[in-house]
Amino acid sequence: MEGDIVAAATVLGKMIGAGLAMVGVIGGGVGIGVVAGGAVQAMARNPDASGTIQTNMILGIAFAEATAIYALVIALMILFVF
Amino acid sequence: MARRPRWRFGINRWWVLLFIVLGVVAAAAWPPIRPHVQLPAEVISAAPLITLPVIGPIYLTNTLVALLLADVILLGLALAVRRSTARGQMVLGGISAALEALLEALFNLTESTAGKRAKRIFPWVATIVLLVLVVNWMELIPGVDSIGLLHPAEGAAEGHPVQLLGVLGSLPVATIVQGALQESGATLGLLQADHGFTVVPFVRVASTDLNFPLALALISVVMTQVYGVQALGAGYFGKFFNARTLFNKPMFGAIDFGVGLLELVSEFSKVLSFSFRLFGNIFAGSVLLFVMGSLVPVFVPSMFMMLEFFVGMIQAVVFGMLTLIFMSQATAGHAEGAH
Repeated sequence: MEGDIVAAATVLGKMIGAGLAMVGVIGGGVGIGVVAGGAVQAMARNPDASGTIQTNMILGIAFAEATAIYALVIALMILFVF
Repeated sequence: MARRPRWRFGINRWWVLLFIVLGVVAAAAWPPIRPHVQLPAEVISAAPLITLPVIGPIYLTNTLVALLLADVILLGLALAVRRSTARGQMVLGGISAALEALLEALFNLTESTAGKRAKRIFPWVATIVLLVLVVNWMELIPGVDSIGLLHPAEGAAEGHPVQLLGVLGSLPVATIVQGALQESGATLGLLQADHGFTVVPFVRVASTDLNFPLALALISVVMTQVYGVQALGAGYFGKFFNARTLFNKPMFGAIDFGVGLLELVSEFSKVLSFSFRLFGNIFAGSVLLFVMGSLVPVFVPSMFMMLEFFVGMIQAVVFGMLTLIFMSQATAGHAEGAH
């Protein structure tokens, strides 16, 4: 009986913890939106510079995404490792 | 000529319909199971391959098998290109033409970023992009992550009963099925497992093992330092320990010195972000494919396969492009940047 409660509480804690860890993805989403929006505006104003802008946009997205991926990795570790 | 493509499309339509119907029948016969997800790679050899003095025994893991398979695929591609260039074709066709287009696009990108050092940086970028691309796209091949050995499960929540499908030569072929375990566990022939069985796949995408992205990230960052020292000499380390303005302008010199130390920290965090970016994306993608395949087994997974196709490509390009940009930043140095 007590073992069951402990097991259930462990699962509960894991699920809530993983969900809370994924809150960090908000920042990555906002960052990628800002980067892509700025890049599209820049490309609309100066279509000739599309190539350079696109390269820098993907770079910026990769950096913004990295923080979101850290949160994701922590959530995955909580779910599947501990 | 105009009629033939339409006829082919008509045939393909019926193929797709046939596969959907087959998928419905198969999903009704064997209801899909959400597979057991494990973060470290599964060991598939009983005895260690080699035993290193400090690190300890090294086993054959299924991600290592995937990496070796990717190497074989890359070697095959290289030999295909070699055969068609040895034949003296000026215009390559088929797979060689696709590779030529990919490498040409990559080289143009390298040249526009790195300028005259493009020829030295390009091999690293192209190697990383090609290897990561092949490794990431392996998760789209049917049978990867799903065909393997049946092992007794360790916990009660992970095991499933098994059903014998047939005998291939002398090897029994079985599948795990949905349903409650009996009191005594599951049995397969002479094998008996208290908690049921799980599948340990032969091949699991190499990027879902942190070792592979970490190794690539270490190679990329270390070679960036090597190229920086080769291009700028000992002055390369002036970026990290910046004492040039420390004595004539103490206030701003101290800030410059602090910024230099932050650059040093960022070199180490590059390893972290390189490896976690690739690992997190591809591992999350494969978990997404597992979950979608078990929730809606027919047709819907193909949409997510499409998503994973793009994610795998973008991650390969991002890994190569970041390597390219870090390398060209390291070799450019301060003197050229100021003018």
